[in-house]
Amino acid sequence: MSTRVAIIGTSAIPVGRHQTRSDEPLQVMEQEIMTRLVVDAVRDAGVDRQDIESLVFTVPRPYTLQKYFHTFLVSHLRLACTGNVMEVMGNGMTGALAFDQACNEILLGRAKVALALGINMEAATPSAEHAMSSMRTTGDVDFQTSGGFIPISWYAMDAMRYMHDHGATREQFAAVAVKNRHHASLNPLAQYRKPITLQEVLEQRPIVEPLGLYDVPGRSDGAACLVLASEEVARSLGKPYVLVRGRGFSHDGSHQINEIPNDMTELIAAKRASATAYEQAGITAEQIDIAEFYAPCTIVEILVSEAVGFFGRGRGAPAAAEGETKLGGRIPISTSGGLTSRGHPAYVTSLYNLVEMTDQLCGRAGERQVPDARLGLATGELGNYNAALVHVLEAQR
Amino acid sequence: MTLEVIPVARKRAYPPRMSAFTQPFWEGLHTGRWQSTCCQACGKFTFPPKPVCPHCWSDRMEWKDLSPRGTLYSWTRIHAAPKVFMDEAPYAVCVVDLDVGLRIASRLVEKPGVEFKPGIPVELLVLQYEDGPLFAARPA
Repeated sequence: MSTRVAIIGTSAIPVGRHQTRSDEPLQVMEQEIMTRLVVDAVRDAGVDRQDIESLVFTVPRPYTLQKYFHTFLVSHLRLACTGNVMEVMGNGMTGALAFDQACNEILLGRAKVALALGINMEAATPSAEHAMSSMRTTGDVDFQTSGGFIPISWYAMDAMRYMHDHGATREQFAAVAVKNRHHASLNPLAQYRKPITLQEVLEQRPIVEPLGLYDVPGRSDGAACLVLASEEVARSLGKPYVLVRGRGFSHDGSHQINEIPNDMTELIAAKRASATAYEQAGITAEQIDIAEFYAPCTIVEILVSEAVGFFGRGRGAPAAAEGETKLGGRIPISTSGGLTSRGHPAYVTSLYNLVEMTDQLCGRAGERQVPDARLGLATGELGNYNAALVHVLEAQR
Repeated sequence: MTLEVIPVARKRAYPPRMSAFTQPFWEGLHTGRWQSTCCQACGKFTFPPKPVCPHCWSDRMEWKDLSPRGTLYSWTRIHAAPKVFMDEAPYAVCVVDLDVGLRIASRLVEKPGVEFKPGIPVELLVLQYEDGPLFAARPA
């Protein structure tokens, strides 16, 4: 039988504000957070430190002073490895790519146990200043950034077009924010946990029209560690684990917009990547019990819910408003609270999504547990979902 | 047909870089010329202008005038702007489908009495800043 990959342990710090300003006398150090997290995750997994043969890190933000953080951290834990020790970078897809690369280390036979981990520190850096860097991450730095585009402006234009094409309303988008805040209120790792009402979402100041403050993510720091292992190792531990059943990647060949006019809100890469992952897993979209999307804005969660086949075109928004995607609904999405409420430490966001998936599929999600959750879907992306990386996960209990 | 040129009494907040290759675009834009590269091998336009055709990979690219008219595909108004754009905020940006069958993104300029809405006709124009031009769209 060919090798399969399992998630056997996780750890994460609560998403929030952890970064210190550079002029503060006492600094929060990334390595002090990460060493504790690795110890916690490996203890949660129940493997020996000698079993770890590969570590795949998400690249830190430029504000992290220590460069080549991956090899630096390995020295703090004295982990001698024969599989790759590396940092990966894929913009918003960074966390999902770190996980995917760690899977590869196991599938290539380089490691029986591998870590996918990272830390994202940025919240003490003022938004307008951080935006000077993030505005260069989407679009064309000369031909578009010069006009003033920012990353979430592309999602806002998705929202505007989707409203035009499908008659969706701001209230329907707002329902996603309310729902995710409710989920976050049940998640100890979440950044924003105080319940909000539909009216409160609608009354927030506009950020990128038609999206207001609660439709978009805040600024977040976070760090997480996942322990991956071959299925053989996972089975030997005699406790629940999560099996990676399908993987799919697709890049649509464009950057933000397709220069040949297309249906921008169809998210074709997410459609293709999820189709590949379903096929590999031998399942259909209807069989998924739970999903965590990389969806920075309320509109994006709606669009992805259509692209991965949970709802037909134009049905995602009304379905969200009708409660189909909340805990207890037909297909609970973002039970962690999602990027708007659990929080969005961008480079490690997908690691947090996978922590939530693991908690749910191992039956340890507490008050937000989806009963009998067996199959889960996680997505990562970059640009305006110009590329998507999708994983189908299965509970083994 | 040249674009309308509107003077703007300030410098560009985040000026584009210019290469020897894109120089004709920016210098042409300065005089109201709206153009991009068109592939002599497959006949397709591309924007931004590129030395290699993304469609057929030919490097037989020539500068050709573009249609200044199009349709507003979508738009947004940005209130949370990066530091250099803060004094311009809020400002609108958009995605436009040009009549020639090319999708572009640009700043979107108000036209009194016209509400921005996907589907409305727009035209391209030049915002002539003190230090150089930028292209933008405006309801036609």
